[in-house]
Amino acid sequence: MSPEVQIRSTKPAAMSNLYTALLAISFGVVLATAAFVAVKCYFIYETLFKIP
Amino acid sequence: MSNLTKILIVLLTISVIFLCGIVVTYVANADNYKQKYAQLNSERDSLEKDKESLNNQLKEKIQQKDDLEKSLNGQLATLKTRADDLQAKINTVERERAELLERVNGWASITKDFQATTEKQTQLLTTAQEDLKQLKAEEIKLGKELEQTSAALVEKTAIIEAAETEKRRLIEEKADLQNQLDNTMQAGGKAASAGTPVTQEKGHALPAKTTAAAINLKGLISEVDVKNSLATISIGSADGVKEGMKFHVTRGNEFVCDVLIVDVDTEKAVGVLELVQAATGGPKVGDNAATNL
Repeated sequence: MSPEVQIRSTKPAAMSNLYTALLAISFGVVLATAAFVAVKCYFIYETLFKIP
Repeated sequence: MSNLTKILIVLLTISVIFLCGIVVTYVANADNYKQKYAQLNSERDSLEKDKESLNNQLKEKIQQKDDLEKSLNGQLATLKTRADDLQAKINTVERERAELLERVNGWASITKDFQATTEKQTQLLTTAQEDLKQLKAEEIKLGKELEQTSAALVEKTAIIEAAETEKRRLIEEKADLQNQLDNTMQAGGKAASAGTPVTQEKGHALPAKTTAAAINLKGLISEVDVKNSLATISIGSADGVKEGMKFHVTRGNEFVCDVLIVDVDTEKAVGVLELVQAATGGPKVGDNAATNL
């Protein structure tokens, strides 16, 4: 069995769902951190990007 | 997927979690600078207000200090003036004090002399008091004698009063007898002369000797009232004329009438005509009137 044959015959699929989950967790953590920082900044300074 | 990719995914995940944790911790513990800014701003405003009020108070205090300084300067000047006056008074008082000390020294010497004199006077007073006591004792004796003498005097006075009463009674009897004698002798143109009483016995008066004496009063007829048989003669009681006397009226050697005196004045007397001689024409003004022919 050759590798070219295998590529042609099957759909591309993730090599492992574990690493996809790790990437998803990382993305979620970054997103949650950004949201937390934004909320905190808004409640304290009542703006997100301006310097009060 | 190669192993390197797998390792990178794992490291990426770990680093993301670590860094996100740090960020969250830092943001969660970050200070609220806006709140601190507002707080500090309010504190600054309050401090500025305090500064203004303190400045105002400082100005007021400075003004008060100036006023107080002015008033104190005025008081200081007044006090200096008073101090000068008091100093002058002190000088005057010191001079007076010196004079008074001199006078006190003089008075002290005078007082010593006075004390010596007082001691002498005290001795004299003691002597005088002793004399006074003796005089009082004598006075008491004399008072007793005076009381005895007074009692005797009262007795003598009672006796004298009795004698006076008897004397008055005798005088009244004498006057009565004298009047009776005068009335008896006047008809004959005579009057009894006053006799000299001779008292032979003490306390008993003897009757006086009576002798007949001519009255010998002479006057003139000054007024004639033939109608009422009255005539007025020119002598009265001042010359001794009394009621009841009888005057003989003559003209030359002729007997005209008698005048019996019935009313006597001081310088004239009025009487009733008696024994009128018709041949002579009755009494006329200017005829002589006498008690004795």
